[in-house]
Amino acid sequence: MAVFALPPFPDLSIGPDMDLQLALIFLQQGIASGLVSGSVYALLALAIVVIFKTSDVPNFAQGEVFMAAGYVALYLFVFQKMPIWVVLPATLVVAFLAMALFRRFVLDQVAKSAKDLVYLVIATLGLSYVLKGLVRRTGFGDTPRSFPALVPTDSIMIGQASVTMLDLAIFGTAVTVMAAFFWMFNYTKTGRAMRAVGMNPKAAQLVGVDLRRCHMLIWGLSGVISAIAALLISPKILMTADMGSIVMLAFAAAIVGGFSSLPGAVVGGFVIGIVENMVGLFISSRAIVLAPFLAILIVLVLRPQGLFGGKLTIKKV
Amino acid sequence: MADLLEIDGISAAYGRIQALSEVSLKVPEGAIVALLGSNGAGKSTTLNTVSRLVPVTKGRIRFAGEEIQSWASHKVVSAGVLQVPEGREVFRDMSVRENLDMGAYRRSDAAGIRRDLDRVFEYFPKLQERLQQKAGTLSGGEQQMLLIGRALMAGPRLLLLDEPSLGLSPVLVQQIFAIIERLNKDGLTILLVEQNAAIALGCSTYAYILENGEMALEGASAQLRQDDSVRRTYLGG
Repeated sequence: MAVFALPPFPDLSIGPDMDLQLALIFLQQGIASGLVSGSVYALLALAIVVIFKTSDVPNFAQGEVFMAAGYVALYLFVFQKMPIWVVLPATLVVAFLAMALFRRFVLDQVAKSAKDLVYLVIATLGLSYVLKGLVRRTGFGDTPRSFPALVPTDSIMIGQASVTMLDLAIFGTAVTVMAAFFWMFNYTKTGRAMRAVGMNPKAAQLVGVDLRRCHMLIWGLSGVISAIAALLISPKILMTADMGSIVMLAFAAAIVGGFSSLPGAVVGGFVIGIVENMVGLFISSRAIVLAPFLAILIVLVLRPQGLFGGKLTIKKV
Repeated sequence: MADLLEIDGISAAYGRIQALSEVSLKVPEGAIVALLGSNGAGKSTTLNTVSRLVPVTKGRIRFAGEEIQSWASHKVVSAGVLQVPEGREVFRDMSVRENLDMGAYRRSDAAGIRRDLDRVFEYFPKLQERLQQKAGTLSGGEQQMLLIGRALMAGPRLLLLDEPSLGLSPVLVQQIFAIIERLNKDGLTILLVEQNAAIALGCSTYAYILENGEMALEGASAQLRQDDSVRRTYLGG
């Protein structure tokens, strides 16, 4: 799970006598690297939370959608040698359709025959295995590969932190995508309908919202956000069929943020990214795996509803 | 007068539980028709079959001459059938303004929407004062007003009102029913579901009484008010 934490220095951390100078450098580096890996967690957490808010279902296939989208891009770009301006939109379209159709033809069907939400959750687990299986079958995942970087990876210094142009592009794109999504969700008619469905699906139907179409759109957009996360990070990592497991960190981010708050998911993503990098730099790279769970634990003890969760309420059943 | 809504022998079920069996009723254009009955008699279910939230297993529903029993719920809204649900079904975390905007979800005629918004403020001046307030923080009476206002924003031809008096103080009930009668005078056709039979029979011209999912009685409201069995069961003596 530590795939994204890239300690720029060998593991020379540790020691109470670590001098202040070094600690300051580590601090800056930790924040810079944390914001980069955090932007990927934030995107995925956003994709998870927007579905949870409207469908009440945690989508456990979000990581595999992210992974499969990465492989779609890899296949089109590296194996089919398509130009990048075709590959990027094609990948997003595939991710949109896959999620929208899954919502329409699998979840709506399951929901029809079973009232309990648990069945829907199991169906998302099913999707995660299907996607992983599909990618494994193609064989592209057998050798770990990297997506060629589209932006130069030369280092530049910001303060005393070393980052690459690629890092800046990742952060910038992620922030832009999230801002665009917030704008859509909060200030457009479509976004308002999505929020209405999340608050009260019955009332939304009574004012004429087409529930099925609205859900398809939400799942599709969630797929697009995951695909963007995959496109951003895949030049920095070795892609395998298991790379979707980073969704654990996105779930951690969502929990830290309160699980039903979109800004919470984003802040949670950055918190997890920074905590992970700090733990790697100041404690040990072996402890990185624990960092997100530590963050969840601390947040849940101090603020059980998450950083951005509303007041604790009891849901009527 | 022509019937705007005609329900013809519909049945509906929740799983194995039969909720409605062969219920028929008519709502003439321009009328207020009351649908009465005790708790669980199937009043809300009847409205929900018209709003297409509950599927019918048998029978036909006609609105303005068209058969709508197999339509999707959003299509029914576009046609002008708006339900005002019971139990404060507002969008709690949205402002009053956003709730009203949601009412106009299926419309794109900006001028008409603007006009209807002014009309809603005319009926409910209080909503205009609370425009930026979150709907969940409104009082019960204000939420009921918001629900009616939200339905009016869709430009309805038929209003399906579900228990508008529920949980309101007598003074508020008076106010709400005064507005319901005003809406009707201004040309809106209304199917009114109520447990408060006295007030419902007072403002409607015709009424139906449901019992255990079946139509038990119907008649002109003025006559039903004099009917002994109705007085005993629904009017408390």
